[in-house]
Amino acid sequence: MKIVGIAACTSGIAHTYIAKEKLMKAAKELGHEIHIETQGTIGTEDELTDLDIKNADIVIVAADINVGGKERFAGKKILNIPTNIAIKSPKSIIKKIQADLGL
Amino acid sequence: MDLSKVIRSETIKLDMEATTKEEVVEELTDLLFQVNAISSRENFLKDVFYRESIGTTGIGNGIAIPHGKSKFVNKTSLAIGRTKADIDWKSLDDQPVRFIILFAVTEEDKNSTHIKILAKVASNLGDDDVCAKLLKAKSPEEILDIFSGR
Repeated sequence: MKIVGIAACTSGIAHTYIAKEKLMKAAKELGHEIHIETQGTIGTEDELTDLDIKNADIVIVAADINVGGKERFAGKKILNIPTNIAIKSPKSIIKKIQADLGL
Repeated sequence: MDLSKVIRSETIKLDMEATTKEEVVEELTDLLFQVNAISSRENFLKDVFYRESIGTTGIGNGIAIPHGKSKFVNKTSLAIGRTKADIDWKSLDDQPVRFIILFAVTEEDKNSTHIKILAKVASNLGDDDVCAKLLKAKSPEEILDIFSGR
């Protein structure tokens, strides 16, 4: 399946980037395509493209704060989780999404 | 990644005596104070413990990343420590912590090279293999090599 998402934490220094890395590694190991945008102290990096979003089966918002640009996901299935959950059990999250979507 | 901009070997301590989370943060803060990276030990500690009160910085795999974005930081820096004892950190995986990276960040640092380096360090910690290597590293140089991908 195709996954897009955003990672963002309170101070925008550490958890954001750990969460992104964990989700990317888990998705790739499970054979999925993934693109995660980070919104941190240094601003937005690896910004999602319209095409990424259009083709995505699911949007994962791993955030402890309000993220910017949520309107880009209109009509998409969105999973909202705190960064801690993405760091703690990235594989189970992705497996559960896969089961729920039947993909 | 040029880690030398944010970390020097004087702020890496691989044989920490601390046995509690508070002692760990204090011992690492002392290292930062000795190299002039922070201007006030007490006030910086307050900011770090405030962050701890918001949510755990124990990310699992035996690693914790306490951090303070604080006006008492002179220069964005890292202090790294490994403890002899298991430390209770209320980590995400409920396991004790042995390897701690204290992030000290100035309030002005926004789009700087320093923050980008910290983000890379954090990304590295999302890799289980890197975490395992850090726990076994034998010298400060080895730790710097692990983060540099050598």
